[in-house]
Amino acid sequence: MRIGRYILAAVLLMGLALAQKTITIKAWTIGPDDPSITRLKNLEAAVDRLNALLEIEKADYRVKLEGDFDTTDWDPYLRRVLLAFQSGEAPDIVQASAAPLIGVWATAGYIAPITAETHKYGTFRDVFPTLWKAVTFKGDVYGVPQDTEARPLYFNKTLLKKLGWSEAKIAELPKLIERGEFTWDDMLAVAKEALDKGVIERGKGYYHRPKNGPDFHMWYRAFGGTSYDEATGKLVFDQEAALRYFTWLKKAVDAGVLEKDRLDGSWNRFHENVTSGKVLFFSGGTWNWAEWKTQWVKDKGGEDWLWENFGFAPQPAYKKGGKPITLSNPQAYMVSANSKHKELAVKVLAFAMMPDLDARHAVGSGHLPVLRATASLTGDRFIREVSYLLNYTTFAPQHPDFPKWQDALYRGVSAVESGQVSPEEAVRVVAAEMKRALKDQVVIK
Amino acid sequence: MRRYLTPLLFLSPATLLILLFFFTPVVATILLSFTDLSTTTFKNPSWVGLRNYQDLLADPFLKKIFFNTVKYVALTLTFNVGMGLLLALLTSLVPQRIGDPARALWLLPRILPPVVYVFIWQGILAEAPMGLVSDILGVSKNWLVAAPWTVVILANGFVGASFGMLIFTSAIRAISRELFYAAAVDGATTWQTIRRVVLPMLAWPILFVTAYQTLSLLTSFEYILLLTDGGPGFYTTEVWSLRAYHLALSNYFGNVEFGLGAAMAAVLVVIGVVVSLFYLKIFNFKALVSEPKIEIN
Repeated sequence: MRIGRYILAAVLLMGLALAQKTITIKAWTIGPDDPSITRLKNLEAAVDRLNALLEIEKADYRVKLEGDFDTTDWDPYLRRVLLAFQSGEAPDIVQASAAPLIGVWATAGYIAPITAETHKYGTFRDVFPTLWKAVTFKGDVYGVPQDTEARPLYFNKTLLKKLGWSEAKIAELPKLIERGEFTWDDMLAVAKEALDKGVIERGKGYYHRPKNGPDFHMWYRAFGGTSYDEATGKLVFDQEAALRYFTWLKKAVDAGVLEKDRLDGSWNRFHENVTSGKVLFFSGGTWNWAEWKTQWVKDKGGEDWLWENFGFAPQPAYKKGGKPITLSNPQAYMVSANSKHKELAVKVLAFAMMPDLDARHAVGSGHLPVLRATASLTGDRFIREVSYLLNYTTFAPQHPDFPKWQDALYRGVSAVESGQVSPEEAVRVVAAEMKRALKDQVVIK
Repeated sequence: MRRYLTPLLFLSPATLLILLFFFTPVVATILLSFTDLSTTTFKNPSWVGLRNYQDLLADPFLKKIFFNTVKYVALTLTFNVGMGLLLALLTSLVPQRIGDPARALWLLPRILPPVVYVFIWQGILAEAPMGLVSDILGVSKNWLVAAPWTVVILANGFVGASFGMLIFTSAIRAISRELFYAAAVDGATTWQTIRRVVLPMLAWPILFVTAYQTLSLLTSFEYILLLTDGGPGFYTTEVWSLRAYHLALSNYFGNVEFGLGAAMAAVLVVIGVVVSLFYLKIFNFKALVSEPKIEIN
């Protein structure tokens, strides 16, 4: 009799086990910086927590995450995502820059609107409202904000001291920049002085990123340019502002402050020179701080070395009294249109929107949190001190053709910097390329 | 009809392959080039006629890219054919036990995977203390950025030269010994033997190598992509095929234009055909494949 009962129990258990489904959710994420691995790890943690809850609820399914974290570069990653979208094999969740990719992919029909689903979960309510704006396209929400950042102008305090600046003067610099009293031209003058006095090597007065990216749009705006007209929904190219920007670049190259071949494509060389303390001013991202801390100055004292040597401020204004700026390029998790488990995917994302996970990513990768509750949770000095930059932040316009605008501007920058054309000629070339690529979608001013 | 059956049978495998791997892609590319296919229009592309070609003509960067392509093909081709010929002659003049290993050494760049090969170049050209060139010259520079064209041409040339070297060596080996004996009896110097005996016999291989390499250089971009990605700076080393690739498949911000890329590729097909016809004409192809006037056995 007893044996019979055992057999019955075993059969019942097996039946339960068989009845329980495992649903696989696929997710593709990218850094490309190594410390941003939490973009994937947070999803894994979310799935664990969701499964724990399903266990308690005795639900008939469990979730399995098949995740991937890319550390190569945006170009190959986006190509992979695009080909996956086109072949209908895209993962359920894709992480990428909210603007302008949400505009691009929503227009193409690759990602699904999830407005209704996002209202279902309380965890989404704590996300900063401006970030919801960044993931909304034509009135629909197409993604869940993952993180945001700011792009500061860093300066090397040790080199400024060598130049004769007092501690007080150095501490004052970010405030001067905020008030618009220290402009791009002032920065150029300081760097030139450092070069003349032998404090820095030629070309190492100012560094910017070594390849195409969202920052060039930011600098164009720092020089007074606008890129989007809300009223008409069209892109804008302001030739005067572009000329100011390009002229500054040429002056910087001619003065020996900026390398003629700064756009050499090598991030390693950028980090190497910056963290060996050779570069006076350099524009970067908040996430660079985490990269430097964990990869580049680890042996020299880690974050303490960074605090001792580097300071940060917004990108300066171009004229006295002007407004400094920075740019945020929020990342978002999107749900692909061909996903068979859209609702479940959003549920996983809701479990990823937890302050502890948000904090873990922010502190570990040098990005800024997306939840209001997180800020009070982390005691991290960098996050605390750098967050004020968001007061000066701007976003890329959510226009599906904005990538073409960005490409054209970048060509102009590379042409001027390498000395191949004059700033005036570069403005003409960029305007012509924008007209060709964007037709009636751009207004040339 | 029957008399054609056997030749047709023998021709069919090659014909099939050409149809499948050459003709179909060309037709597909040309069809694509008449559409506005891009990231955003992938699901609903529309027929735009010649608009992509008009766009190309309006492209302010196209002139630069065209001349880059001419420069790249002309210089690399000269290096490839010249170096290949030189290597073939030198390794044929020395005893075989030295010549063969020397040739094998020159094959190394070709058998290395391109990524590894380019990685080695980047290492050699890096700034001090990593870079070999910077160390030797005592001037610390990223030489890849300082002299991008030289690097692009040499990196391609070192791979390309071995192709000519092999073809020319086998052609030299195939020259009948009697001709060399006859030249020696007539008192010809080494240079005269090369000039009057070897080179005329190499006309056909030189045509083949030049034509083949021109076409493959026109369409190849992988070493440039890996070395400079068209940079540094403003389209410094961007060539036609790389630009087509960038338009159709690669964009930092994720919006690619397949239609426009296809139009660029289609233009390349036309250029390729024109160049081939030109070569056949100047090398007098008909005379080369006609019945020989004398028979040497």
